[in-house]
Amino acid sequence: MEYRLDRNVHSLLDPRTKLLLLFTSSVFVVGNAGEKQMFVFYWILVFLPVLLLFAEKEWKFGFVAIAIYVGSYFAQMALQHDLNSLESALALMLYIVTKILPTVILARYIVKSTKVSEFLAAMHRMHVSDKLTIPISVIFRFFPTVAEESRSINDAMRMRGIEMGSKKATEAVEYRMVPLIASCSIIGEELSAAAMTRGLEVGEKRSCIWNIRFGVIDFIIIFFCLVCFIWWGIGRFFV
Amino acid sequence: MESKKLTAKDLIHTGIYTAICAVLCCAIAMTGVIPIMMVLLVVFVPILTGIPYMMFLTKVDKFGMILILNVLMGALMWVTGMSYYALIVGTIAGLAAEFIYRAGAYKSKRLGILAYAVSGLYCWANYFGIFFNADAYFSTRQNFGQEYIDSVTSMLPVWMCPVLFVVDILCGIIGGWIGAKVLKKHFEKAGIT
Repeated sequence: MEYRLDRNVHSLLDPRTKLLLLFTSSVFVVGNAGEKQMFVFYWILVFLPVLLLFAEKEWKFGFVAIAIYVGSYFAQMALQHDLNSLESALALMLYIVTKILPTVILARYIVKSTKVSEFLAAMHRMHVSDKLTIPISVIFRFFPTVAEESRSINDAMRMRGIEMGSKKATEAVEYRMVPLIASCSIIGEELSAAAMTRGLEVGEKRSCIWNIRFGVIDFIIIFFCLVCFIWWGIGRFFV
Repeated sequence: MESKKLTAKDLIHTGIYTAICAVLCCAIAMTGVIPIMMVLLVVFVPILTGIPYMMFLTKVDKFGMILILNVLMGALMWVTGMSYYALIVGTIAGLAAEFIYRAGAYKSKRLGILAYAVSGLYCWANYFGIFFNADAYFSTRQNFGQEYIDSVTSMLPVWMCPVLFVVDILCGIIGGWIGAKVLKKHFEKAGIT
């Protein structure tokens, strides 16, 4: 029996498509495979994540991302020749931004639009072992937590006058790391207790309320990703 | 209730410590824009991730957890644009670390430090791109300015590869030792381990 929920209409893509897109993006945008020959695909891959984000109605984040991207892209273009070492470091930073940002946006889209149970069910259908999918979903759940905790610990330490880059560097590191790990480990205990009550431990096949299947847009994007790899392969091995 | 299979709790712990290590690695790797730091990453990453890793090892009591952490770290390195070498080396190193730590019945601290040093090798693997494929590596980074490229390549000739291997292991041992000390100082007293 299948359920039709509002949420399913809302989420545009299947989790498996999202992962394929993330992989493609990391090969061609971050890894810069193919370079000139992949020019068109490169730009599609850069702007597709923002469109997806808009489809999720994340207007603000999308526009900020576009602004940062365009800004750093042109700044980087201006910094092309005859650099001294400071400018070179700046150019490198901007370069990293232009490389990483599209994938960051995509990752944000994936995290925003995918329910954990949806992800687990999709992975289960691809016969990926629980041993990998559970840690992966915990990691995605945990990145924001680690960032948030470290920010508040940082504030507390600044109040005590223990700053990064002061004389006692070891102390600065220790006083940040120890509370971070302590609080993260406590959150972890709670998380595993919560997972236990939801029956993660039972070992039976999990059922999923979300209706996971490929739609038209999924097929378009999968086709696009395959074309990317095939085109790259042609350029690499035949030309 | 003693079972050899990984429980959900173990997997969740693995995920948590992978996330902490990944965030730390990411924060440290950002300093790689300065050429000398690029080389020193192999020093700082093992030393600083030692504390969460040693904490992680106190939670490990079954086969597979270290391996999963290493595979995931390698995969994260790959996705964030290092190279797939990290995944391959990380997997092998994780397996080796797993056997090392198992030799001490998942309790020995000394073997734990050694296991940490071995499993940290994915950090060393990130340099493979520069050593063996320098032209391709820098062709994508042309716009950093020639100076950056020159200074990084001059610091990393091929003979540095084994040197960095040794440095990585040594720093891993130091980092593990620091981690063990911090653990003893803070966490064992508080009873978190």
